[in-house]
Amino acid sequence: MKLEMKNGTDPIDRRVFLKMAGAAWAASLAPQAAFALSRTDAVYASAFMSPSGAYGVAVLTEEGAIIEQMPLPARAHGMTYSPATGRAVAFARRPGTYAMIFAPDGSAQPVVITAGENRHFYGHGCFSADGRLLYATENDFSGNRGVIGVYDGTDRFARIGEFPSHGIGPHDMTLSADGTMLVVANGGIETHPDFGRTKLNLDHMAPSLALVDTATGGLIERHAMPDNLRRLSTRHVDIGADGRVWFACQYEGPRNDLPPLAGSFSLGEDIRFLELPERATQALANYVGAIAVNRREGLVGLTSPKGGTMVTVDAKTGLVRGQERLVDAAGIAPAEHGFIASSYEGALGGTQSDVAWDQHIVRLGAL
Amino acid sequence: MHYRPLLLLSLLLALSPLAAAAQEPEDGASPAGGLKLEAVPAVMQKAVDDFIRPGYRDLLEGTEAVAEAAHMLCEKPSEETLGDVQMTFDELVQQWSTIEIVRVGPAIENNRFERFLFFPDRKSTGLKQVQRILATQDQTALSAETLEGKSVAVQGLGALEYVLYGTGAEDLTSDPNGFRCRYGAAIADNLNSVAAELHAEWEKPDGIQAAWKQPGPDNPVFRNGKEAVTELLGILVHGVESIRDQRLRPFYAGIIKGVPDKGHPKLAIYWRSGNTMPALSANFMALQTLFNAADMQALFPEKDRPVAGAVNYVLQAIVDDADQIDLPIDEAITDEEQRGRLNRILQNTNDVLQRLNLDFAAAIGLGTGFSFADGD
Repeated sequence: MKLEMKNGTDPIDRRVFLKMAGAAWAASLAPQAAFALSRTDAVYASAFMSPSGAYGVAVLTEEGAIIEQMPLPARAHGMTYSPATGRAVAFARRPGTYAMIFAPDGSAQPVVITAGENRHFYGHGCFSADGRLLYATENDFSGNRGVIGVYDGTDRFARIGEFPSHGIGPHDMTLSADGTMLVVANGGIETHPDFGRTKLNLDHMAPSLALVDTATGGLIERHAMPDNLRRLSTRHVDIGADGRVWFACQYEGPRNDLPPLAGSFSLGEDIRFLELPERATQALANYVGAIAVNRREGLVGLTSPKGGTMVTVDAKTGLVRGQERLVDAAGIAPAEHGFIASSYEGALGGTQSDVAWDQHIVRLGAL
Repeated sequence: MHYRPLLLLSLLLALSPLAAAAQEPEDGASPAGGLKLEAVPAVMQKAVDDFIRPGYRDLLEGTEAVAEAAHMLCEKPSEETLGDVQMTFDELVQQWSTIEIVRVGPAIENNRFERFLFFPDRKSTGLKQVQRILATQDQTALSAETLEGKSVAVQGLGALEYVLYGTGAEDLTSDPNGFRCRYGAAIADNLNSVAAELHAEWEKPDGIQAAWKQPGPDNPVFRNGKEAVTELLGILVHGVESIRDQRLRPFYAGIIKGVPDKGHPKLAIYWRSGNTMPALSANFMALQTLFNAADMQALFPEKDRPVAGAVNYVLQAIVDDADQIDLPIDEAITDEEQRGRLNRILQNTNDVLQRLNLDFAAAIGLGTGFSFADGD
């Protein structure tokens, strides 16, 4: 089936995706899926649970239609993508021990890797700028410290080393725009696989945001939470067009507190918390599950499954640009306009699928 | 698997104000599906007053008994006084195995859980520390106050079990005020101290028990009924997962590719004292007791009651099998009949997990299952 191409308004990533995908792969699509792809303005990937309880990862159109899906050995959580190599990764949810690297265009066989001895994945990671290295947040649970595992993309993702995450409980991690720093959200919560998902040190948490040198693994800069916000677990990060780091939090303190739940900083600057109106803070239920930046439009999106809410904020002014109700809101990623969001109930970008979407969506390419 | 009716964002936005108000739960939380919110306070009250508080009360009494017996043993060592300590130890294992399913709140603060029970002991690190204390006669291990500052592996039930049942325990019957005995008594005092803290935390009228009983906007733990019920269901789901993954599978993984696992009996909890299966039985019995004492079936409509019946049936089957495994655990693994019961326990553990995770969760409106919707 011939794919219909839009005129010159196509976003770059769709063209790149189709080019990478290749005519043979596109021709192999079922007519309905090919039709969905032909209409799309971008593509995404997200992990899911099927109605039978099996886990997988799906490639999606901007409208949320599933183009392709593949099985995963167990539940996944975060995802990442390298525009340089066209590889995406689904990381096992903590305290899982696998990650699957795959080509969303189907051009290569998936590679499944496992965490090293006495290590488990925390559910997130990112590629180096050239896509040759994969970094993953991991728990050295016998040493009770967070580490960043380093995997060689040129050698079937063999684990070639690690360096400290410079904090406890690293969770999300992303790469700075120039590729020289990893931005690590150390949630500050100790966990151990012997205790499943139980959080062990809520009374002496140490959350922080660390900038780590990709060349040496050395600490460039670390931002701890202020003393009165020690229970504010820094969990997810994204980067603005100006290189500013945006972070989102989950608060482990009293449920009737109204702490700030997101903020930002630039290299060399102090953290600046986002001052949301009380209505928005209440709606986020002290729990932001995912954050995304739409760099082109200067917007920051936050989702809360506990509050069933999606909040959009202007990155420059900090003003709320939108607050919508989305039951069991899960992932969020930049879209052509604003954001695409998913839910545990199968909603994604206006499409209802018969799956439960997991906590994160990755955009396959930049806007 | 049950799914909630489709709720598209566009549909939500299109709801009339009246309809939206009807769907809008307290504090913006997700609509609670089949959850009978009006039943939540009574369920939480029963969970606290009829399971959690009595559980910690029993634990406190158990630690007092074992401490008293241990001090008596040191004073008058004999087969009989050692037997008394071992009997109170067995009883304490039962009491702990009941309340340890509550892995939330004060139990996971200040390392209380690990101080009471350090398990599993990977690479026998804890065992080596205990053996070093005994070999060097470390005098700083002889009082609960100084013991508290040491590794959690040398101050809890595992350490006490080694003192009472491990290599050299026979000295306890003949050596008045010997080092080993006084170390055991210090561990018992330490357990008593931790149990007293847990008991006190749950007895404070305006403390955690009040927060659990009255979810609401000003509550420091639960802002609404759904959050409270999710925590309660979490105790059951995480409890079953923990027992299966941390207590059962490490010593017997079941049938793998048609062949029974040859097992690792020395990875079984409390194998020295023969308390492995009694402790597992108490774990599952505790889950069933909490489920029924809190009257959790009151949370959803009458039509879903069979879900509760099935949960009860499977938990009871597990307890019955566990109680019938009476050989030492290394022999039980090689005995066809007893191994068959272990296999059935593993199968039923998976079954009850599905029932709680999916069926029960669906009945109270967590459409995709409890474990799925807990974010990260």
